[in-house]
Amino acid sequence: MTSALTATGLTKKYGRRTALADCTLDIPAGHVVGLVGPNGAGKSTLLLLACGLLDPTAGRIDVLGERPVSGSPRVGFVAQDTPVYAGLTVAEHLRMGAHLNPSWDSQLAEERIAQVGLDPAQKAGKLSGGQRAQLALTVAAAKRPELLLLDEPVAALDPLARRTFLQGLMELAATGMSIVMSSHLVADLERVCDHLIVLVASKVRVAGDVDDLLASHHRLAGPRRDPADLGAGRTVVEESHTGKQSTLVVRSTAPIDDPSWQVDRLDLEDIVLAYMSGAAGSGRVLEGQR
Amino acid sequence: MIWLTWRQFRTPVLATGGLLLVLLAGMALTWTQVTDAALNAGFTGCQGADACASAADTFLSALRYGQAKPVYYGGLATLVVLPAVVGIFWGAPLVARELETGTYRMVFSQSIGRGRWLLVKLLGGGLAAALGAGLVSLALGRWAHLIDAANGERILPTTFPARGVVPIGYAALAFVLGVTAGLLLRRTLTAMAVTLVVITGLQLAAPLLVRPLLVTPTSTLTALDPKARMGMSYSMETKELRLEPMPEERDGWLLSTTVVTPAGTEFVGPADSTKCGPEAPNERLTCPEWLAAQHLSTKVTYIPDAKFWVLQWREFGLLVVLAMALSIFSVWWIRRRLA
Repeated sequence: MTSALTATGLTKKYGRRTALADCTLDIPAGHVVGLVGPNGAGKSTLLLLACGLLDPTAGRIDVLGERPVSGSPRVGFVAQDTPVYAGLTVAEHLRMGAHLNPSWDSQLAEERIAQVGLDPAQKAGKLSGGQRAQLALTVAAAKRPELLLLDEPVAALDPLARRTFLQGLMELAATGMSIVMSSHLVADLERVCDHLIVLVASKVRVAGDVDDLLASHHRLAGPRRDPADLGAGRTVVEESHTGKQSTLVVRSTAPIDDPSWQVDRLDLEDIVLAYMSGAAGSGRVLEGQR
Repeated sequence: MIWLTWRQFRTPVLATGGLLLVLLAGMALTWTQVTDAALNAGFTGCQGADACASAADTFLSALRYGQAKPVYYGGLATLVVLPAVVGIFWGAPLVARELETGTYRMVFSQSIGRGRWLLVKLLGGGLAAALGAGLVSLALGRWAHLIDAANGERILPTTFPARGVVPIGYAALAFVLGVTAGLLLRRTLTAMAVTLVVITGLQLAAPLLVRPLLVTPTSTLTALDPKARMGMSYSMETKELRLEPMPEERDGWLLSTTVVTPAGTEFVGPADSTKCGPEAPNERLTCPEWLAAQHLSTKVTYIPDAKFWVLQWREFGLLVVLAMALSIFSVWWIRRRLA
């Protein structure tokens, strides 16, 4: 499996503030990868480093096997809040793309514009948030990059615009483009991503194909007990205890056959939330009650 | 990239170009007025210094009430203000607005390096600024060449930056200055304010500090006539006596008029208090006598009109070197330090 992006000990500081601290991860190519995490986890910084708009303070990052440089024809980027030139029309954005990218696919660009119903003569400053995001995606996609990075592209969109945007993204993924998209909402990613990375405070909490994640995570409910005696091959992601009962979120490749547990499947959002909250204070609840 | 540069530049460029066209039209309309006035006054083709001087006076006073006067001063003002306009409205927003609105994240993820993006914009804007300033300066220089010859003011600090090649240098440097300010400050409004301050400072510093160093001023020594009218200041305590003769007319830019001793140093006294100063009983008579005995001379330092083009090219060269250095710096900065 080749990597779209690898980072080792990647650190970015703005003066004294650390935006990303010692981040190590490996994002596979050929997938639609969701990068999820709470605000401030370093997702945006990671993506800006990946497209060369920022330079790392320390550590190393490779994108498609090279050091990222802004202006690379191989990497496309849709920035947060999907900036476009307010004074330029939709058609002029495409013209700009055609002038600045040797690999520009004008057929794809025009088809997408027509498909999402944008008026080419409209000034980009007068577009709605959803239309603006579609325009930014079109410009980034028609460049035909090998890897497309998207930083919270749907965060500001209403549910309908969000669905249309993600629909368009899925069509692009079908053309074989690797896509990495960040979001703090799992629901956005669930629809399109086949690989998920949960990033909390610059650290990868879990990474894997969505199907594997769904298959290997379970919610266990049963009489109160110490999660340490679950057995080998099982990792407790999150635990909560009441006086009588313990509820655990467990990662396990093998099926759980202990009849004293009631085993439930989890959806992706539950898994992600378990990793996010598990990172905040794992194990402390139980110790407090001993 | 050239298309994008033009597309983003065209509004300010066309607005500035429109203003310059108004001035050019004004010159075209008054062209014959100036040449006719010179002809009627006998200034065109005049022979002999005295005849020319009086013809020049007639010529200049004939222009005093025509439409040529507002065009003359309008042209002067335009070329003095043009650098600030170019720096503030073309240069300062160029990078700062991209940083402010976040669009830099879009344009820098196209297949073009940041350095090249900036270089093309610097070249496009800088050349447009140079071309506009150059055209206006050329036209104004042609239009006003008779006036300049008559009043001999083209070397003076008031006229110098609106003649010859220097306006090109100022416009280009102002543009690059605006761009660099925007790049470093990242705020359009702040960059505009700083650009205005720096350009104004530069325009003031050039005649006060730089221009006299670019060419060696000419100095003349004439024996001081102690009976001539002059300013005198005398210190009772130190017996210091300073003389300020009336400035003499020179065909050029007068830098200083000082009184020097035979040794060549500036004369500051001390004066003989029995002959000069308020304690001397018969100062009106004794002081000129005493001064005559000092063998003083008046030293006039000035930059003659003949050095106009040498000064023009040297100042232009300096401005171009500055503009290029700033361009190199800003391209380096956007590539290495913007992140």
